[in-house]
Amino acid sequence: MTDPLNQQLEHRSDGQRKMFSSSFSVICLLVSSLAIVVLATLLFSIFVTGGTWLNLEFLTASHRENNPEESGIGQAIVGSLVICSICGLVALPIGVGTAIFLEEFQPRRRILRMFHGLIQLNINNLAGVPSIVYGILGLTAFVYMFGAFHSIRINGQPDYEIGATYSYQVKTLGGQYVKFPARAKLQPTIEIQDSRTVTDSSGKRFKLNVFSPIDEESTLAKTRSKSVIRGTQAQLINREGADLYEAATIDGRSFTFPAKPTYSQFAKILEPITVTGPDGKSFELNVLSKSEAIPTDELVKARSVFADSPDPNKRSSASIFRENSFFHMHLPFSKSVLSAGLTLALVILPIVIIASQEAIRGVPQTLREAAFGMGATRWQVVRGAVLPSATPGIMTGAILAMSRAIGEAAPLLAVMGGVLGTTNHLSSLMDRTPVLPVTIFKWAGDENQGFEHLAAAAIIVLLAFLLMMNSVAILIRHRYEKKLA
Amino acid sequence: MSTTPTVMNQSKRSPQSPVQAESTVTLDPPLMDAQTAIAIDSFNAYYGDFQALHDLHLDIPEQQVTAFIGPSGCGKSTLLKWCNRMNDIVPIAYATGTLKVGETNVLERGTDVVDLRRKVGMVFQKANPFPKSIFDNVAYGARLHYKISRPELFDLVELSLKKAALWDEVKDRLKQSALGLSGGQQQRLCIARAIATGPKILLMDEPCSALDPASTSRIEDLIFELRRQFTIVIVTHNMQQAARCSDRTAFFYEGKIIEEGATEDVFTRPKQRQTEDYVTGKFG
Ligand SMILES: Nc1ncnc2c1ncn2[C@@H]1O[C@H](COP(=O)(O)OP(=O)(O)OP(=O)(O)O)[C@@H](O)[C@H]1O
Ligand SMILES: [Mg+2]
Repeated sequence: MTDPLNQQLEHRSDGQRKMFSSSFSVICLLVSSLAIVVLATLLFSIFVTGGTWLNLEFLTASHRENNPEESGIGQAIVGSLVICSICGLVALPIGVGTAIFLEEFQPRRRILRMFHGLIQLNINNLAGVPSIVYGILGLTAFVYMFGAFHSIRINGQPDYEIGATYSYQVKTLGGQYVKFPARAKLQPTIEIQDSRTVTDSSGKRFKLNVFSPIDEESTLAKTRSKSVIRGTQAQLINREGADLYEAATIDGRSFTFPAKPTYSQFAKILEPITVTGPDGKSFELNVLSKSEAIPTDELVKARSVFADSPDPNKRSSASIFRENSFFHMHLPFSKSVLSAGLTLALVILPIVIIASQEAIRGVPQTLREAAFGMGATRWQVVRGAVLPSATPGIMTGAILAMSRAIGEAAPLLAVMGGVLGTTNHLSSLMDRTPVLPVTIFKWAGDENQGFEHLAAAAIIVLLAFLLMMNSVAILIRHRYEKKLA
Repeated sequence: MSTTPTVMNQSKRSPQSPVQAESTVTLDPPLMDAQTAIAIDSFNAYYGDFQALHDLHLDIPEQQVTAFIGPSGCGKSTLLKWCNRMNDIVPIAYATGTLKVGETNVLERGTDVVDLRRKVGMVFQKANPFPKSIFDNVAYGARLHYKISRPELFDLVELSLKKAALWDEVKDRLKQSALGLSGGQQQRLCIARAIATGPKILLMDEPCSALDPASTSRIEDLIFELRRQFTIVIVTHNMQQAARCSDRTAFFYEGKIIEEGATEDVFTRPKQRQTEDYVTGKFG
């Protein structure tokens, strides 16, 4: 064979090569500027559609059905932040720990090394799995927990639960809700058969009166003596030179009240009036309509329930009432903020691991040798030499992973459903909450055109979040690069 | 290929005390009363299937400078790293035979490598200070191993830097980053850092190969000063350096020790052709 270096080879046409080169760079320029133009158009249209809707009210209000003007993303922002925090708190330690294990604790045994390689392979593959797949995984693993536990009973108590207090709640004859603590094995409803200590809405404890069904509705002489039936007629009398009206209360006691010159001979009592009792003391008169039952004392009614009654509306059965503390948790996690955070953690875990591995690999081997050579243990090497140098890289990777998490809609739709607004504010890990990406998704598809503008405005907010996180990542990298140099 | 990790066959050597003067292998020891710091016997080292060192026998005497010379890839660094088990970092590396530091065979599975590395310090080819202050670099090892009060630590750092002939240059900038030092200063810092844990043996793997002649001669002077306080093993490609600052020299070739003896003999009266070719630069 001839030596290609010493051979006289025909030269390629220079002009043609340069032509190619320059036309290629023009094409590259065109393609990249096209991408920028598309992005700019997108941003512009989003700002035109949603820019004017962006105000403080929008940022704090929550979703209102069919009412774009008063809807907002307050709950969605809180929801997104809470879910991302859970996601970060779970994914970061596990991710960084895994990266340290994979990079710094490589085993010597061949079988263990193969196991190591298997984990690595899996992580690399998982990084490419579409997030909706994680959504379904989260649904089975966290929401239903493979059906290993009884599903949450409506009004009932799940099998494994912490952070919730249960009580029974019952409505008194006076329409007030009172409750008393539930003990032992819970039933959805109980029949109240005997008196017990209860708490009223203002928090006061008192003994509940319990009547049997055959009892008449309680009346109190004091109340009856101060009541008349609506339409009761009072008669004008003259006593000691003064014109007065006189009537009788339900329990037959008479009373008087002053008559004004314009008063006719007879007056129908239609509104409450201040009257004077036989003892000379004046008081406000209760006025009831004719169709109403005999008045009963409100204080008594408010504190009374029927033990049992043929009339189902008056039956006093107490229903169970749950109050959750913020750490309320049960198994399975069901459709909740916790499930959502954990699912997102799964989504970003491979990213965090790979980014951390890169950062750890970037730590010069000489640093490790230096530390090992001084007699540092593996952990001391990791803690003292590897992690300090790898931290900026890990942080950047983590923040970029979080910015992916905050924009994910698909897995959240799977594990929490398309929640747009909740009546209660987010108070525990088992609650559901709207989040930014899902809100945008639902609004953009809403039949009410007004919500399109809101979706655009919400996109602006989401982009602002992303921009913020990315700048923090850049800032951290910059800061540490300077410090290490 | 079996993956027997660091398997030890107990040495065939008689339970001879390392305190005893060594006279069997070295034919012409310069100091007859020298005691053995490192005793290597039937030593083989492997990287996976590849055998890097073949059946080595070598005794490294205490408080002398021993130089390892030989062409690139012949296994000098490998042997040096096994002396304080730095090869543990390499998952595929393992060794058989005996390598005794003092009384203990360090290849034994149960060896306390942390304590071993405290006693057997290492200086690397490329200066590798931590991205910390000069003070923290020197204090690093002491903090790892000892409970030490702040003033004691200051004394220790000062003493170590003085021994490494660096004190005068850095005493006003102890709080500054070690990365701001010159290459030669960084290498001396690494020596100070190694000294600060109080080792008996210092392993140096081509400590001057990245340095200019001025820094090199400073380090050589340093080695000369330190040699009665520590047992020093130095790997070098620089024949003059080996000749200048070592008491004994071992010539490696393709994973074997071809010749070992007093430096003067190895350089002026080599017994082997290969050694002669190598030290005279005729190698090829
Ligand atoms: N981590 C490793 N994995 C596999 N093989 C290795 C490893 N380190 C060294 N080797 C091999 O072992 C042999 C000896 O290497 P070693 O580094 O000990 O040589 P050396 O004598 O120090 O060379 P140099 O003078 O170039 O530093 C070489 O053939 C090298 O390729
Ligand atoms: Mg080497």
